[in-house]
Amino acid sequence: MKRLIPVAFCYLAAITCFGQNQFTVSGYVKDAGNGEVLIGTSIFVTEASTGTTSNVYGFYSITLPKGTYHLAIDYVGYNDQVKEVDLNRDVRLDLELFSSEEMLQAIEVTGKAVDENVQSIEMSTATLDVRALEKLPAFAGEVDLIKSIQLLPGVSTVGEGASGFNVRGGSVGQNLVLLDEAPVYQSSHLFGFFSVFNPDAVKDVKLYKGGIPAQYGGRISSLLDIRMKEGNNKEYDVKGGLGTIFSRLSVEGPIKKNKSSFILAARRSYADVIARAVTDAIPDDAKLFFYDITAKTNFNINERNRIFVSGYFGRDVFKFDKFQGFNWGNRTATFRWNHLYGSKLFSNLTLFRSNYDYGFQIGENELDKYDWKSDIRTYNFKPEFTWFPNTSHEISFGGEAIVYDFRPANAVSVSEGVTTDISLDHRKAVEASLFISDNHRLTDKLTLQYGFRFSNFRYLGGSVFQYGDTIPGIKKPLRNISEKGDWEQIAGFQNPEPRFSFRYQLSKTSSIKGSYNRMVQYIHLISNTTATTPIDIWQPSSNNIEPQLADQVALGYFRNLKNNQYETSAEVYYKTSKNQVDYIDGADLFINQFLESQLLSGIGRAYGLELYAKKNSGRLTGWISYTLGKSELKVDGINYGKDHLKREGNWYAARFDQRHNFKVASFYDLKKNVTLSANFSYISGTPTTFPTDRIVVQGYVIPYISGSARNNYRIPDYHRLDVAVTFDNIWRGRKGRRGEDNLVVSIYNVYARQNPFSIYFSQGADRQPDDAPAKTSAKQLSMIGTLVPAITYNFKF
Amino acid sequence: MRYIYFITLAFTFLSCETTIHPELEQAEKIVVVDAWLNQKMERQTISVTRSQPYFDNSTPKKINNAEVVVHDLASGEVFTFEEGDDAYYWEPTSTPFGVIGHQYRLTVSVDGETFEAFSRLGRVPSIDSIEFTFNKKDFLVNQDYFAAEFKALEPAGVGDTYWIKAWKNGHYLNKPGELNMTYDASFTPGQSVDGQQFIIPIRKDFINPLDENPEEKDQMLPPYVPGDSVYVEIHSIDPMAYEFLFGVYFQITRPGGFAELFSMPLANATTNILNVNKDSKTIAAGFFNVSAISGRGQRLTPELAEAAKQKAD
Repeated sequence: MKRLIPVAFCYLAAITCFGQNQFTVSGYVKDAGNGEVLIGTSIFVTEASTGTTSNVYGFYSITLPKGTYHLAIDYVGYNDQVKEVDLNRDVRLDLELFSSEEMLQAIEVTGKAVDENVQSIEMSTATLDVRALEKLPAFAGEVDLIKSIQLLPGVSTVGEGASGFNVRGGSVGQNLVLLDEAPVYQSSHLFGFFSVFNPDAVKDVKLYKGGIPAQYGGRISSLLDIRMKEGNNKEYDVKGGLGTIFSRLSVEGPIKKNKSSFILAARRSYADVIARAVTDAIPDDAKLFFYDITAKTNFNINERNRIFVSGYFGRDVFKFDKFQGFNWGNRTATFRWNHLYGSKLFSNLTLFRSNYDYGFQIGENELDKYDWKSDIRTYNFKPEFTWFPNTSHEISFGGEAIVYDFRPANAVSVSEGVTTDISLDHRKAVEASLFISDNHRLTDKLTLQYGFRFSNFRYLGGSVFQYGDTIPGIKKPLRNISEKGDWEQIAGFQNPEPRFSFRYQLSKTSSIKGSYNRMVQYIHLISNTTATTPIDIWQPSSNNIEPQLADQVALGYFRNLKNNQYETSAEVYYKTSKNQVDYIDGADLFINQFLESQLLSGIGRAYGLELYAKKNSGRLTGWISYTLGKSELKVDGINYGKDHLKREGNWYAARFDQRHNFKVASFYDLKKNVTLSANFSYISGTPTTFPTDRIVVQGYVIPYISGSARNNYRIPDYHRLDVAVTFDNIWRGRKGRRGEDNLVVSIYNVYARQNPFSIYFSQGADRQPDDAPAKTSAKQLSMIGTLVPAITYNFKF
Repeated sequence: MRYIYFITLAFTFLSCETTIHPELEQAEKIVVVDAWLNQKMERQTISVTRSQPYFDNSTPKKINNAEVVVHDLASGEVFTFEEGDDAYYWEPTSTPFGVIGHQYRLTVSVDGETFEAFSRLGRVPSIDSIEFTFNKKDFLVNQDYFAAEFKALEPAGVGDTYWIKAWKNGHYLNKPGELNMTYDASFTPGQSVDGQQFIIPIRKDFINPLDENPEEKDQMLPPYVPGDSVYVEIHSIDPMAYEFLFGVYFQITRPGGFAELFSMPLANATTNILNVNKDSKTIAAGFFNVSAISGRGQRLTPELAEAAKQKAD
């Protein structure tokens, strides 16, 4: 480490030494209509044949020798601009772009520079334009970010209704979902049918599947970076919608024109309201609803300082009566401060708190009940700096400190008035990281991004459980329990996480890109079910659980055609991982202080090919995505064949492994104000376990699998077509009425295919006759076995 | 537990199920020992059979000429099970099988292989009473109904495990979802609830059958109406048997529908039937357990029904 420091200084000196006659042009890029900053705008210096893109806060900085230059500013959906700058001193130039009228009518598939696909060093990323999503056919007519990213290559799910998403063969708990930098631990409403993000408040969505920059860490599979709108700082906007599940309303506007603004967006489901109107069978105390509120405000203090405060509050409430039910929700609060040191050093300081909690109650009255509350609280401090020394380098550095407070169970059991506290110890852990990364434009053709992240995790005080070894797959015997002080370290881990990417420009319209990244994950989602549940807990790495670690390499070819009208890409990836968490059979994962005795650890590998083609403009737009993938696990104690003594595991397909995943999303402008859209999905069947034998014990039929096989069969393939028609400006926007609106009529699963979700084997849930052996059968379940029509009305004024 | 039905119902209108007949790999046909002995003064049975192809719904056939012996490791007493028509039997003459607190070893020799298993005979609390409560109709049962509840004080001391069985009008409540095993007075050893009345799902929910009303979809028949009887038994079980049943519960309770989202991967249940020859590749399945039993029955008479109604008002 010590030897690295002089090397680093020489390197920095080399970058900066030729500084005398250099000047900087810098500023923010914004939408002229509402003042929202624009992320990823291309700013190209014509004379110097070089350029940059605006960062996630809309900031750019370009340093050039003294002279007069033309900046070409380019962003999909906005009129191109060329600005002349006379660089004989540092220039502050804030840019405002105007939405292009004709483009507004058409669908924009992404928000970014037109040739970013080829030009940017980023690979293995996917962005979504929220405005385009509105016209996609969606389940129950509800625009959904998580469901929409599943239309992109490399992204999948175990099936309809399952929460979260899987990226390149990783599990749901291996995705870091950030909403304005704060992690969202549970991204689903209603178990998994809808995601918690209100599309009306979202500005930008970017999924990193690989080549993850050094400033991010903490999960091994992917990063979903969701950025909220700042709010219109020019005029008031009211936006909303009436759907089959939710109604939505958002208000945004200036607090002080051009200086500060706010947005407040809320959604609530109303199934309960409707149900109460049609039936009186629902008890008064019963509740079934979910809602979310998103709020953000920002202040431009001066040219150098800007602060943002944002928050999210969402909750699902299921109550069957006064004493039975459950609820869960995320709460996040983020404070950010953008500060400019001079014109070359941009900084952002983030402070956030994120909470995920749930409660679960059963019982009849105060004397007989069971009440469980669990939460995980995260406090984070994250200073980040980006330094733009010259056009060849863009250096990011900073750190992150996270304090985790795990409260897996605050629980009481009350029986006949006798209360037993069955709470589990609170747990604390600290994760601290430092990172540095350079985006280095080596030549006109070759750009490198090399970065390094160093992470450190400490698992702190409380009871220390020590377990002995046993045959894999059997509960480990408890050897000893000892106590450590509250902030005393029980286990510590540290890991270097190198990151590297390159882009080589083959021609003006094509490039190849490659990346390697190592990711480390210190907290683990404990879930042994097909889909994750809201009451799954997060468990820190400890003396019994090693951090998960993944290495991924990816290589891709990117090409744009017909003047950037078409974008295409092909990528291959190979990923290995270790210390993946698995479970012994019959593991008891809820309120169990000995949980760690039931966990297994395995290795994983995933590889695949992703093809993507997109048409950006014209009457017909949309994209086609295809993924050929494989994801496997090897865990001692699972799938061990006939080796009953050592139980060394053999490779088996992960539950979300899909060989082929083909998706089409398309939009067609039928005529003015009428758009047709359609999605088609074809997905290979996911694996499942079929038994071979049946065993009868005390009258119950227990399935037996020869060779303890896991995921040895495939359920049938899945395919589905959804269509929608959008009618724009049916009332608003006509006859001089202010604003705009649209009506979306959609049908999910048009040909009503009964797509399999699972195949299960059982003696049935029914009562069996007393005297005959129980009958066993196999059943194929379709979660949504019919077509689902929906109508949604959206408005804005 | 009733909430699970509620959630399932909320979504069943979109989901659908079909019975399929997939071809399975060849059955392994391993030895299965089903040996659950108890202290009732009745014939004790140990079945020694082979596992069958999964869709074979016939009664498993006894393996002939097995040697089946149970040893009391504390007293040295030997119980030799005699081969009968469809199982191996031992008949108590003057005293029941076993002594509480003793450890037992089962030995089964079959086809040249010997398997053994161990189990401890645990204590069992008596059932003090069974009461009926009156309930107004709700979202599951759309008529007024009676629910049964037993009272038994679980003895102090962590680590007692039980299997609670119930019969309605003489019929054993045998749905997989009605498997009711307890660790002390609650569900799990992770955090024990000890030395008190069993928690309400155990002492009430599991002994009240919910069967679909054949005349009205998604509506349940009342668990008990006047004239019905309930009989409850508490079986002490070995902690290993508790873990076995706990694992089995999740393997065999597959209500389908929306609950499939949260099903666990299919895997083999544990067993305590182990080959004495550690190097042998021949394995067995099943379980050996010894139980003490307490039981109590109650009929819902018109008088009790009336009293329950008045109490509810």
